[in-house]
Amino acid sequence: MKLLARYNRVTLITTIIIMLLTGIAYYQAISWILTRQKDKDLADEEKEIFEYVNTKQRLPDGFETKHQQIIFTKTEPGSVKRALVDTVYFKKWGKNNPKRRHFHAVGEYEPARGLITSVSIANQYYKVSIIQSKVETEDLIQIIFYITIGVILLLLIILFATNRLILNRLWKPFYNLMQELDLFNIADKKEIPKLDTTIDEFRRLNNSVTNMSTKAKRDYQALKTFTENAAHELNTPIAIINSKLDLLIQTENFDEWQGKLLTELYSGVLRLNRLNQSLLLLVKIENQLLDERQQINLHEVIEGLIIQFDDIYRDKGLKLTYNLQKKSVYASRHLIEILLSNLIINAMRHNYPGGEIIISLTEKRFIIQNTGNNEPLNDEKIFVRFHKSSSSEGSGLGLTISRQICENFNLLLYYSFSSPYHTFTITFPNQV
Amino acid sequence: MVRISGNFQELIEFFRNLCYDGRIFRIYSLLHFIFTRKKSLKILIIEDEQSLRESIEEYFKGTGNLCETAATYSTAIEKISLYRYDCILLDITLPDGDGINLLKNLKKNNHSDGILIISARDSLDDRLQGLDLGADDYLVKPFHLSELRSRIAAIVRRKTFNGNNLLIVNEITIDLIGKEVKIGDEDIKLTPKEYALLLYFIANKGKVVSKNAIAEHLWGDGVDITDDFNFIYAHIKNIRKKLMEASGRDYIRAAYGMGYKFVG
Repeated sequence: MKLLARYNRVTLITTIIIMLLTGIAYYQAISWILTRQKDKDLADEEKEIFEYVNTKQRLPDGFETKHQQIIFTKTEPGSVKRALVDTVYFKKWGKNNPKRRHFHAVGEYEPARGLITSVSIANQYYKVSIIQSKVETEDLIQIIFYITIGVILLLLIILFATNRLILNRLWKPFYNLMQELDLFNIADKKEIPKLDTTIDEFRRLNNSVTNMSTKAKRDYQALKTFTENAAHELNTPIAIINSKLDLLIQTENFDEWQGKLLTELYSGVLRLNRLNQSLLLLVKIENQLLDERQQINLHEVIEGLIIQFDDIYRDKGLKLTYNLQKKSVYASRHLIEILLSNLIINAMRHNYPGGEIIISLTEKRFIIQNTGNNEPLNDEKIFVRFHKSSSSEGSGLGLTISRQICENFNLLLYYSFSSPYHTFTITFPNQV
Repeated sequence: MVRISGNFQELIEFFRNLCYDGRIFRIYSLLHFIFTRKKSLKILIIEDEQSLRESIEEYFKGTGNLCETAATYSTAIEKISLYRYDCILLDITLPDGDGINLLKNLKKNNHSDGILIISARDSLDDRLQGLDLGADDYLVKPFHLSELRSRIAAIVRRKTFNGNNLLIVNEITIDLIGKEVKIGDEDIKLTPKEYALLLYFIANKGKVVSKNAIAEHLWGDGVDITDDFNFIYAHIKNIRKKLMEASGRDYIRAAYGMGYKFVG
C-alpha cells in the first residue's frame, strides 16, 4: 500500500468520524436550545390563559392558529399533573392546498411540543393542552444537518485532492531518489545526483544514500585496483617461472619421467597465466578500458575463428556446422573476438569426441549449440566467477567475461538447454 | 662478431640471382653458409628484473649471440648512446625512469636499432604508444623465450635483409614475402600453420621449444581449450614428413615428450 493511500485513509476516516460527532453534537445542542425556546413560549401561553381565567373567570375560546392548538377538557380535580411533553400536532391543510387531493387527507401530523396543565373555574377542573408544532424547528435542524453533511463532503474532496497533489509533489524527491537507486551500478562512474529539495528528511536521506554509494564505489574501486595490481605483479613471477622452464628444457638428458614432470609444470604455469590474464581482462572490461568501438563484421570474425580452431575441433572429432548471415555490430573488435572465441572454445571443451557444434548468425541473434553432458547447466551459476564443473580445464572466468562484454555493448547473453544441445544465444539490440 | 656489411649482402644478392635456376645452388648455399656463419646478433637487454634478465641472456648467449644487459634506466641510456645493437629488448617499466623515454631518445638520434618492447602492461594504449613511437614489436609478459626469439628474429630480418626477402637455412630457402618454401629447387607446400611453425623453429634453431610455446604461438588464446596438445603433434608430423621427403634429413626431433627441437 502506498504511503499516500494509507495516509489518506487514516485522515479520511478520522475526518468523517469527527465530522459526524460534530454533526450529532450540533443537532443535540440546537434541538435542546429550540425545545427550551418552545417550552418558554408554551409557558407564556399558559400564563396568558391563567391571567385570562383570573380576570374573566371563564375559559378563553379554544382556538387554533397555524402552529398552535389549545384544548380544554373537563376532568377530575387533581388528576392532571403539569408536564411538558413531546407530542404530535394535526395540521389541517387549507381548502385549496393541492396536498389535499394528492394524499386524500385533510391534514398531516407534525412533531410538536405540548404543555399539559390544569385550571379551575367555578369548581370545575379543566385539563389544558397547549400544543405547538415543532415543524419549523425540525426544518432548521434539517438545514443545519444538510449544511454539515455538505461541509463534510466538501472537506473530504478538498482533503483528498490536496493530499494527492501536495503529497505527490512532496514525495517526488523520494521517488526520484528511488529511481536513481534502481539505476545505481557500482561499476559505473555515474554518481547519485543531489536532490533538489528543501525537505530536511529527504536531504538527509539523499546525503546518506550519496555517502553510502560513494563509499561503496570507493571500496569497489579499491578492490578492483587491488585485483589489477595483484594480477600485474603476478605477471613477473610467472614470466620468471616460464623463462626458467624454457631454459631448463635446454639442458639435455632428461628421462621420460622428468619430461612428464616438466610438461605438467608447463601446463600449471599456463593455467596460472590464463587465469591471471582473465582476471586482468575482466578488470579492464569493467573499467571500460578496451572500448575502442568500430563497425565489425561478425560473420568474418566467426569465420576467422572457425579457421583458427580448425585443428582443435578436428582433433577432438567434432562435427561443426555453421550458417552465417551478414551482420555487423558497433563494438570493440578485441572484445568481440574474445567473446566469440570464449563461446566457441566452451562449445568445444564441454563436448565429447564425435560430438556436434552448430553455429548460426542472423540479423537478430548469434546462436551456438553444442552437445555435451546431457544435463542442463544451472544458468544462474554458470555466469558467476570461478564457477565451473569439476572436469573443466578452464579458468572459470570465460562466461563471466563473456557476459561482461555483452553488458558493455548492450547485448543479451543467455543459456538454454534442450536435449541434446546446450545453447548460448546472443541477442542484438534493435539498431535504428 | 662481424655483421654482414652492405658489400656482402650485395654479393649474396648477386649469387642469389645467379643461382636462381638451381643448378649452382650448392655453391650459393656454401657461400651463404660461409658469410653467415660468423653472423651473430648483438642484443641489449634492458630489464630490471634480475632473474628474467639472466634467463633471456642465457637463452641468447647459447647460440653465439652477443648479449649486453642493463638493469636501470641510467645504464641503459649510457649503453645506447655508446653502442649500436641489432635489437634492443626494452622493459618500459624501469625503477629509475620511463623506458618510453629511451625509445624517444633512440628515435631522436635516428638510430635504427630494432626495438622490442617487453612489458607487463597489456593495455591497448601502451601498445599503440610504443609502436607509434617507432618500436618494432610489443611483447607482453609473461612470454616464452622461444617466442621472444622468434620476434627478435623477425625484427632483425626486417632490418638487415632490407628488401631481400629470402631466409636460407641449409638447403631450405624461404621466400618471406611470397610465403613459399623451397628445398633445393623443389617447392614444398606448407599450410599457413606449418609455415608459421617452420619459421618459429628456424628462429629457435638448436633449442628445445616447448609444446606450450608452440601452441600459444599458433593458436593464441585458444590453447587453454585442452591440456594435451595432440593437434600440435599432427602439424609437427606433417612438416617433418614434408621436409624429410624433399631433403632426406630429419630436421625436427622430439624432446622428452615436452617439446621439439629443430636441428640444422
